[in-house]
Amino acid sequence: MILLLRLAVRNARRNVVRTALTASTVALGTAVLTTALAWIGGVFGSIIETSANSVGHVRVVQPAYAAREDLFPLYENIANAREIVDTVSEIDGVTAAYPRIVSGVTVSAGDEIGEHFSLLYGADVAWFRERMDFDALMAAGTFFERPDDIVLGATIAERTGATVGGEVILLGQTQDGSISPLKGRVVGVVSAGTALMDQAAFVSLERMQYLADMDGGATEILVYAEHRDDAGELATRVAAEVGDLKAEAWSAREPWASLLSIVVVIRTTLAGFIVFITALGVWNTMMMSVMERTSEIGVLRAMGLTGRGTLFLFVSEALMIATLGGLLGVCIGGLGGAYLEIYGVSIGSDVTQNLSTDFPFQQTMYADMNLEVALTAFGLGMLMAVVGSALPSARAASIKPVEAMRTNR
Amino acid sequence: MIHTLAIVATLCLCATPALAQDPTAEEILAKIDGNMTFESRTSKTKMTVVNPRRTREFIMISFGRGEDHSAIEYTSPARDKGNKMLRKADEVWTYFPSVERTQKISGHMLRKGISGSDVSYEDMMSASDLRSAYKGKVIGKEEIEGRPAWKLELVATDDAVTYPKRTSWVDVATHIPVKQELYALSGMLIKTWEMKEIKEFEGGRHFPTKMIVSDKLQDGTYTTLEFLEMTFGVELEDEVFTLRWLERK
Repeated sequence: MILLLRLAVRNARRNVVRTALTASTVALGTAVLTTALAWIGGVFGSIIETSANSVGHVRVVQPAYAAREDLFPLYENIANAREIVDTVSEIDGVTAAYPRIVSGVTVSAGDEIGEHFSLLYGADVAWFRERMDFDALMAAGTFFERPDDIVLGATIAERTGATVGGEVILLGQTQDGSISPLKGRVVGVVSAGTALMDQAAFVSLERMQYLADMDGGATEILVYAEHRDDAGELATRVAAEVGDLKAEAWSAREPWASLLSIVVVIRTTLAGFIVFITALGVWNTMMMSVMERTSEIGVLRAMGLTGRGTLFLFVSEALMIATLGGLLGVCIGGLGGAYLEIYGVSIGSDVTQNLSTDFPFQQTMYADMNLEVALTAFGLGMLMAVVGSALPSARAASIKPVEAMRTNR
Repeated sequence: MIHTLAIVATLCLCATPALAQDPTAEEILAKIDGNMTFESRTSKTKMTVVNPRRTREFIMISFGRGEDHSAIEYTSPARDKGNKMLRKADEVWTYFPSVERTQKISGHMLRKGISGSDVSYEDMMSASDLRSAYKGKVIGKEEIEGRPAWKLELVATDDAVTYPKRTSWVDVATHIPVKQELYALSGMLIKTWEMKEIKEFEGGRHFPTKMIVSDKLQDGTYTTLEFLEMTFGVELEDEVFTLRWLERK
């Protein structure tokens, strides 16, 4: 085994140009893969993290609300919201639970009323602070101070001409469908760079309950685990405690369930494509190597090298070269990933504001370069080498010694 | 042959007096309009909105003048007290004292129920003069709650009406449409509208003091309108039907 490895090292050093070419191919593939994985992980990771935070790791609702939630059916509410919050808070693994109401309203700041549509979120102040990170997103003014305070998203504030300190009127409806107005003072403007936040308005739960004529009620109870990945198991435990209400993990709900599947497909397709292209390059140079050494392989086989040993010899050589190329590729790709993690790529507010509020796309999308990405890219670099060298190695292993020694190569 | 002709002649002779007694749809609609339209009216109304989840009661004072002007002010519950609504011809405004704003109701909002009830803003805007908006025919005579009623099938002659087709059962004695089925052009039943507890007012006018409206596009909802007080022919100031009145505290 040691002898074969030493032989593999020697072979790799015999034709430096070819070895460099193979290593460069692997390096290029690994670099592209590293940057791409960091980018995909960063962009979708951000969307998923923000989504899971905004919709709750597990959500408890009336089943009829879930069935028609696009229409915000306020009448399908949980009348005893606080009781349900208390009940789920006792469940093992629950770190927090908040009642919430979301509904459509029109926002006006001037004399004209009802020109600008917005989603209105009514929730506990703790939810805005702890889950939506409002303190960090505040572009102007402060957070809720008084019961009639209203916080607006930056886009809706701009469209309505609302400013901090000014009054706005929200025109929504009660749970019975009756027109219901709400007047308040704008105390702050939040800017997150996403349609989800920037096109919305935010009030305390009590104000929202008044608007919806839903005293003590809420349409959703958002439940949080230590980590969003625990949502599936937690949903089962919560469902067992909430009777006829429906408890769903965020990852099982649309559109996020589809988004997760799409992310897996994108990652797999991209990785598979890069591995395939790079493997072709490795195959090419390794096949040249095998053909050049046919005579030598014949001698080694005549001296007792088995077919399996021949296979090992060439795969080892490919892996050694791939290790060099892979490390180089991870370094280069890592630099690209780090650059995108720091500076990001801006897709502009015009694009993000027109995207669905279900997916909180940031105006500037950042990569997430981490050790997992580097190890995955390096591992796939090794796979490129194994796949690329498989056929040439098999060909070498199948060479008959007598026929090989007859050739001039 | 002679025997057959004798039977036909006898039947015709018997039938002729009956046909002569049956009013035409046009005549019935004229009598309905005579009851249901007015020069002016004030009323105090209790509106009870029932849906599968809860029941709510509203008390409101309303003023009406002719077909084009009506105004409503809510006096209870506390949440809605002071809310006002004004209709002038085809335009409707609401005023919310809590935000001191007047909102014009337009577009899809007109189809929404007033205060979440089964009565929409469009219903409020519908002209009560049936003759100008519908042509119809009498298709039978049935009993409604033990009282004979003409059954009329009405088709709109005006494209702008909310309900292009109606089937109405008109009480023979009072000429009040005690039961109405309101249809879309497609033939889908949209609402039923019942009129009960008919009373005779000054001048021999009959008018229902209770109405039950049910929106058939929603499950298990209905709205009862009970006229607690009602006076016809009152003098109403012009200001009542202005935006200034709407915003007056």
